[in-house]
Amino acid sequence: MAEVDIKKLNVWFKDNHVLKDLSFTIKENAVTAIMGPSGCGKTTFIRAIDRMNEIISGSRTTGEIYIDGINIYDENTNVYELRRKVGMVFQKPNPFPKSIFENVAFGPKIHKIANGKEIDKIVEKSLKEAALWEEVKDRLNDSAFSLSGGQQQRLCIARALAVEPEIVLMDEPCSALDPAATAKIEALIRELGEKYTVIIVTHNLQQAARVSDFTAFLYVGKLVEYGDTKNLFENPKSELTEKYITGEFG
Amino acid sequence: MTSRIKEKVFFTILGIPMVACLLVFFWIVFVLSSGIGTLSWNILTTSVLKGGIFEMIIGTIYLLLGAAGIAGPIGILAAVYLVEYAPSGKLTRTIDQAINNLAGVPSIVIGLFGLTFFCKQLGLGISLGAGWLTLTLMILPIVIRGTEEAIKLVPTSFKEAALALGTTKWKAISSMTIPSAAPGIITSVVLGMARVAGETAAILFTSCVLVTRGLPTTPLDPVMALAYNLFVKIVALGEPPEKVFGIALVLFFIVIFFATAAIVLRIYYRRRQPWLR
Repeated sequence: MAEVDIKKLNVWFKDNHVLKDLSFTIKENAVTAIMGPSGCGKTTFIRAIDRMNEIISGSRTTGEIYIDGINIYDENTNVYELRRKVGMVFQKPNPFPKSIFENVAFGPKIHKIANGKEIDKIVEKSLKEAALWEEVKDRLNDSAFSLSGGQQQRLCIARALAVEPEIVLMDEPCSALDPAATAKIEALIRELGEKYTVIIVTHNLQQAARVSDFTAFLYVGKLVEYGDTKNLFENPKSELTEKYITGEFG
Repeated sequence: MTSRIKEKVFFTILGIPMVACLLVFFWIVFVLSSGIGTLSWNILTTSVLKGGIFEMIIGTIYLLLGAAGIAGPIGILAAVYLVEYAPSGKLTRTIDQAINNLAGVPSIVIGLFGLTFFCKQLGLGISLGAGWLTLTLMILPIVIRGTEEAIKLVPTSFKEAALALGTTKWKAISSMTIPSAAPGIITSVVLGMARVAGETAAILFTSCVLVTRGLPTTPLDPVMALAYNLFVKIVALGEPPEKVFGIALVLFFIVIFFATAAIVLRIYYRRRQPWLR
């Protein structure tokens, strides 16, 4: 549970001004969807929340993002602790080339959150939270690559939950999955929204409408509209938003 | 000509070089196999002083393992630095090019450098250690290039996922990138060993003598080697080639052994790396 307060956020990659003066507040313990057409800066935006943009050479960020009242771009902020607190699930399932157990145990071991028997408990708890436990409990030592795409993505969610984050970022987590696997992940996102601040990037309008409490609409790096998902879809304030959700462009 | 005949003609032409390579290979095996008559288990395991070639075989293996032991760690660390840490710029490109050039330096020149620098200036003398360092110069570019390629084949998503969990960059590299690249890294070290297994010029001036009493006991002792022995027997002692076919055959098998090991390792590990398929 943590609020994310974004103030005048700007991100550049070399000369490309990707995010322009974003300012809004993401509510805690809710699911917020970031939607917009390809190239509008959605991914860059969520990667700004755990400072993952800075591993790309040529990126530059100005402005502030406050989590729990602390500016994560302050020079005193411990970026490793920040990334523990802010989990990330990527577009393509990217399990480690290790066993199912080791995938989930990796984070807690790195952060020395637990050891020995406690690790087993964290792994079980995380896999249960990610609705994967029943499917893998008898083969925790199998390679993560032996799982299906949807299972791999739920494993990645479990891996992110294992370090006890407050915020979970998801970058189009279903775009590489089939409809059945997508439905499972969407149900999971709804559940996670009760306990975590979930921020999900999607260019799928129906998905934003189905899973999110709030929606932010980005267009060419600017925030066009942000608000309650139901309101935004039923009574969009901006003409641009209306055109986007009625499918005039996208 | 109909296109079918054209196809056949072209495929035949394309196949000729391969057949030629095979023929040459079998011809070498055939010639050398006449040396089998001069070999026996007894000769392989008997000291040079009593007419065997035991010290030459072990000396060759000493040289190889020691050089790989030095070039392996240095090459791997250098490659990790170049791929993951070195800022992309003119300096890095220059270093990269220098490594390529090092691979192309004739081994006799490397041997000469070894004699001047390791043997004389560092005072190592004609010794096993000087041979290791000289051979290291030849293995390094192979290990660095091979390790770089292996690291670049590891999906960046592994490293990214580790970083997103809050690991340090080094931890992400050491726990994800390097283990995932390990098969390629090991293969490149073995390839480097295969490259110098039969090397003569580099050890000619730096580490070998014709006869020693027993095996070297410290890295500062000189060593005997199969390739060196062949060279001296033909050039200096003027013996007829047929007399050394046996030794050549043993050297040939050592080289083939390492080359084959590299191929087997690569095939074995590829099966265990689903992201490479």
